[in-house]
Amino acid sequence: MPYKYIGRTHDFKGKTLWELLGNLKNFGVGRIVARNRMERYPEPSYFKILKVETLPQPENESIDNLRKIRLLVEKTFRGKTYPEPRPLESASYKTDYKLIPKDEEADYCKAYKPQNTERILPRTMEFPPLLKELVARELKNTPSTKDDLELKIFYNRQSVKMKYRIAEEGEEPTEKFTMGLGKPVAPRLYKGINL
Amino acid sequence: MLRIINNFNFLRISATEAISYSTSSNTLPYNPALLPVKKSHRKPRWVPIAKSKIFRIPKRPVIPEDETREIRRLFNDYRNHEKSVKNFLVEKHNTKNQASLDPEEILKSFKQDLAVCHEINNKWNKENKILREKRLAEELERDIAFAKNRIEQEIIKEQELFEFTEELVRKEKEASVNFITKENIDDAIDKALAEAVDYNFAIDLNGEKIIGRNTKPVQEQDKISLKQ
Repeated sequence: MPYKYIGRTHDFKGKTLWELLGNLKNFGVGRIVARNRMERYPEPSYFKILKVETLPQPENESIDNLRKIRLLVEKTFRGKTYPEPRPLESASYKTDYKLIPKDEEADYCKAYKPQNTERILPRTMEFPPLLKELVARELKNTPSTKDDLELKIFYNRQSVKMKYRIAEEGEEPTEKFTMGLGKPVAPRLYKGINL
Repeated sequence: MLRIINNFNFLRISATEAISYSTSSNTLPYNPALLPVKKSHRKPRWVPIAKSKIFRIPKRPVIPEDETREIRRLFNDYRNHEKSVKNFLVEKHNTKNQASLDPEEILKSFKQDLAVCHEINNKWNKENKILREKRLAEELERDIAFAKNRIEQEIIKEQELFEFTEELVRKEKEASVNFITKENIDDAIDKALAEAVDYNFAIDLNGEKIIGRNTKPVQEQDKISLKQ
């Protein structure tokens, strides 16, 4: 009789780490496992097993802690390998891992080459209509430049470091922000509407 | 319990009904803002999942990828705009950013502001002075009237007390006519000895009083013998 599961579904797909490694020679040291959750990124993410330890039976047994093991892995997240080996214990029980066969390892871990599209974002944008009017009224009698009538954009500091760059003085940005709806990613959603 | 609460919902009076009950003739037009606030029909936190819904599995939303990206873009834009405006206003109005201004100018503007404040304050003080004097005069008048009334009351009270004591003394004087004094004590003793009173008595089975300490009851046997 087939199993009939009741309850909410989850996004996990695969096995726990012990289910994968417990059957392998030398507990799979040197093998590569990957988490299904990380496959949503274009860059490869995977773990190389360096060391496996089992844990004593927990005092209060539950589904979450009964299947845990302690590992030392070489972690690669979104194509970037961490310089130090990382411990992995708390997430080892999740049924979301898959073992990469040896002949597919090289293909799976192939370095990802992102398209060279640097994002240069603008320094300033226009004011919201009411604020624009107020600022213009304030600057009416004082000498002002064109920059005074532009709102300086406040970017996330972390994102500025990692994801994009702010245009320098006189540099042309690759993207432009306006006060309105902007350029839609999916024009099909605005079908029949004059933007 | 929930069902009971919901059954009482109809008892809430809507604004239009409330207006129809009111006695005033000029009724307000229908205004949704005047309607009573509708309570949510959610179950309270402590009530468990309904039995009919224990095995209900909500369907997970499937959003197409381009739509997800569009939603994220719109939200990113909104957040960036909001933060930029906030940052602009903070930089403009923050006192730290205004510290570089000329101190003499700041002092001048401060003095101007202070002069305006003084003017407003003086005006208020003048207005208040009139009101205060009027109020104080009224209060004084009221206090004097109260005090006068109190004095009158006190005088009346004293008079009444005097009359009451006078009456007491008069009654005592009247009563003191029959008192035994040094002069008439011998007569009183003689009189008491002459008219000795015996207050003792006994009660027989029939409830009849037998007066006197030494009086003896009539014997039953004697009564019978008398009849014979």
